[in-house]
Amino acid sequence: MAAAALRPAILRRIRLSPSPSFSQPFAAAAAAAASHPHALARWLSRPMSSHDAHLTREEVVDRVLDVLKSHPKVDLSKVNPDAHFEKDLGLDSLDTVEVVMAIEEEFKLEIPDREADKIDSLPLAIEYVSNHPMAA
Amino acid sequence: MAAAVTSPVRSEVLSLFRSFLRTSRQFSDYNIREYTRRRAADAFRENRALADAPTAAAAFAEGKKQLEVAKRQAKNTMFHATLLTKMW
Repeated sequence: MAAAALRPAILRRIRLSPSPSFSQPFAAAAAAAASHPHALARWLSRPMSSHDAHLTREEVVDRVLDVLKSHPKVDLSKVNPDAHFEKDLGLDSLDTVEVVMAIEEEFKLEIPDREADKIDSLPLAIEYVSNHPMAA
Repeated sequence: MAAAVTSPVRSEVLSLFRSFLRTSRQFSDYNIREYTRRRAADAFRENRALADAPTAAAAFAEGKKQLEVAKRQAKNTMFHATLLTKMW
């Protein structure tokens, strides 16, 4: 029973691993889980749950902040959940496009252009991801 | 006599840039992927300062051509990757 619930979680971890080794799924799962502490915490705390899809708002905020912090042009000291990309973080419109793409990749989403054009700040990015049913 | 040339609208430019980033994702080779992204970002940033309409329009048209090249290359990469997986 527990295996059925763990299987999608393990498969998700294998996808996350950069060089999946199909003969060692657990090693890959452990390695990938270590680099995604939120996912690991979620996985451990709900082992019996088969509905593992929903992200907490806290997790969305943390992960979106991490995406911003990994962008080379962002001033790390200014990153907070209320920051505006161009006004607070000193990014330009091209950087904003890059950031929104990075958010797509982090949460495995495909954001249509007309929606992506509206996302110009952290609150909007967090809102969009939190409301998206497919965010992972 | 020449037809009036208009600069591309801001949203068009950002949309073209986004298309480059999406296309570069299709490359499985990390180096090619990163190069495509970096090159696109540098070119768009460089051309941002183009003030007069004809030059800006020409740069935009060139950008669209380059996007088609990148898309074709991405398709070839995927095609070759598929061939390889089928061989194994």
